Amino acid sequence: MSDFPRPDELYKSIDYSPPATGWMDTPIKFRPGNWCYPAKPDVLRYVHFPNPREWSAEDKDWKLPENWQDIIHQGFRERLKKFRTFQVFMDICVRCGACADKCHYFIGSGDPKNMPVLRAELLRSIYRKDFTLAGKILGKLNGARVMTEDVLKEWFMYFYQCTECRRCSLYCPYGIDTAEITMMGRELLHLVGCNINWAMEPVANCERTGNHLGIQPHAMKDIVDFMCDDIEEITGKRITVPLNEKGHEVLFTTPSGDFFADPGTYTFMGYLMLFEAIGLDYTMSTYNSEGGNFGLFTSHDAMKILNGKIYNEAKRLGVKWILGGECGHMWRVLNQYMDTMNGPADFLEVPKSPLTGTVFHNAKSTKMVHICEFTSDLIRHGKLKLDKSRNDNLRVTFHDSCNPARAMGLLEEPRYVIKNVVNNFFDMPENTIREQTFCCAGGAGLGTDEFMDMRMRGGLPRGNALRYVQEKHDVNTMACICAIDRATLIPLADYWAPGVQITGIHEMVANALILDGEKQRTMNLRQEPLPGFEEEE
Amino acid sequence: MSLEDKLAARKTELVGKWGDVILATYPAETQKVWKRQRDRFANPVGVTILETAQNLFDLLLCWQDAEAIANCMEMLIKIRAVQQFSPSQAISFVFLLKKLLREELGDELRMEGAIEELMSFETRIDNLALMAFDIYSKSREQVYEMRIKEIKLSHRMLMRKADMIADVAAPTADK
Repeated sequence: MSDFPRPDELYKSIDYSPPATGWMDTPIKFRPGNWCYPAKPDVLRYVHFPNPREWSAEDKDWKLPENWQDIIHQGFRERLKKFRTFQVFMDICVRCGACADKCHYFIGSGDPKNMPVLRAELLRSIYRKDFTLAGKILGKLNGARVMTEDVLKEWFMYFYQCTECRRCSLYCPYGIDTAEITMMGRELLHLVGCNINWAMEPVANCERTGNHLGIQPHAMKDIVDFMCDDIEEITGKRITVPLNEKGHEVLFTTPSGDFFADPGTYTFMGYLMLFEAIGLDYTMSTYNSEGGNFGLFTSHDAMKILNGKIYNEAKRLGVKWILGGECGHMWRVLNQYMDTMNGPADFLEVPKSPLTGTVFHNAKSTKMVHICEFTSDLIRHGKLKLDKSRNDNLRVTFHDSCNPARAMGLLEEPRYVIKNVVNNFFDMPENTIREQTFCCAGGAGLGTDEFMDMRMRGGLPRGNALRYVQEKHDVNTMACICAIDRATLIPLADYWAPGVQITGIHEMVANALILDGEKQRTMNLRQEPLPGFEEEE
Repeated sequence: MSLEDKLAARKTELVGKWGDVILATYPAETQKVWKRQRDRFANPVGVTILETAQNLFDLLLCWQDAEAIANCMEMLIKIRAVQQFSPSQAISFVFLLKKLLREELGDELRMEGAIEELMSFETRIDNLALMAFDIYSKSREQVYEMRIKEIKLSHRMLMRKADMIADVAAPTADK
């Protein structure tokens, strides 16, 4: 007994202080919940990406190619030469720290390597060593280090703990686009076969069949028919949806998540009902049924291929302009890369609303209009018959999806539409919305279930703001305009603000929308009773 | 002066120290940022730590309302349940209070021959730990439930397409 420490001594020995070593010397640990599963070998083979194999981040041996260091070095060199921005971003950071506490993953995890500046340092330290004279001579004194397997593992961990949401970039006085640093980091990792399945499988599927799950055209048609069945049950009206038809005015492109996943399916039904109400002359393509671009999370080549399908299908189907649905990263690619990557789309016309005559000059070059721009224009011109009271059971807030907000500045239109279809709208606190919006923590290929712990960490800032409006204004619904959000915000809300449901804006539009010749509506698109009809259930 | 009076008198100081030792379970760079930033939306973890320490301290002294105590701890435990902590590390913040009180008051109480008072007060902290364990487990269960729910939701239309949903509400469905 005398050897057994006394309670006092035991208490004094409790010490959960983290290691005091600097970031370069602090090892990382892969554990369930903080990394995404690697890409399946078959998937990599299909898209001709190097080093397909079975491996796990928790393994000691990652089965890298023998000359992996050379491959990374050459890849780094090529990209510095090819992308001027990359070279500039490597050089100009003064480590002022303005971005340090802006990342949702840092805010939720407290892991310093989730500070955007430090995430970038993971690459810069190698850049200094390999490509700058000072780094070559001074080494660690100059923040340089040698590329080792541990560094590579660190890259994999932290470039796949970044959703490329660009909140940090908003605060950078030099305008460093940290998402592009992550993109470069991921491109380098691809060269040696270190990538994640939830980015690569959608890339492969989208390239082959047109949507992220690899569903074939006849199945897509069946699914759309199911939705038409539901719409008929709710409204009494049978809608026909033109799929893959030539000779229409508009090509409508939306994320494929809305075809399959609840509650995106209700948003999809909302689009169909809106188009029916205004008699839009449109078609949809099954080959281009994923407007979202998982290539953005992969490499510039993959992004270009997937994005190109939008114009290819527009050309093949002979439309005049393109309307895009509630999607996140489709709009980032569209606004920042599409025009120079696959455009200009001279074979199309500058989009003009057939109902209002509004010409969308902002889309003069890309020829593609966001559905919130389109719908808010319809509402502004009184083209929609709306009964807001059908949404009176909803107390709504709006989550600015990162890419439409920060990458295209779509801030007012979604709010304008919401305020015209619901009576109860409440914004979240100022420093959590609009340009400063907090990410859902599941973008950029990270919205996969094995990553749930990390998603909850990164989702805390959004969940915390949501909980605030829930407590203050009894908010019970969070609207968003991104299919990834519609999937990832559900657990986020369940965990941080239980009782809040997630919806797309056009689901609420369609609930309020009065179709000519419809029967008396008693239920919403989810087939739940509308306010005033609860008794009849 | 009873122990509870002593604790109440030194509340601000003790709460501050408790908050500091909880913050010290995070890396040094992080502590700096989380101590500086007082905006609850920019820094939810830092603010939650300080608020929890403060409110929990009051509730511990009153020791009246178990539900209020559980609610008070819930946010901090939910946060730590999804951070890079082992289960014991996640709820260690409760025991850190025990350690703190022994360090701060142990000698004084021993000299006064009143150490028993501290021992009996510590049973409250032990109770707190049990409650924390429940909340932690519930949070972890929820994470796993959310993973299942997410998979179900992401494929509903496909299940319908594959004729894999036999909806009992449908008129043709058998019992």
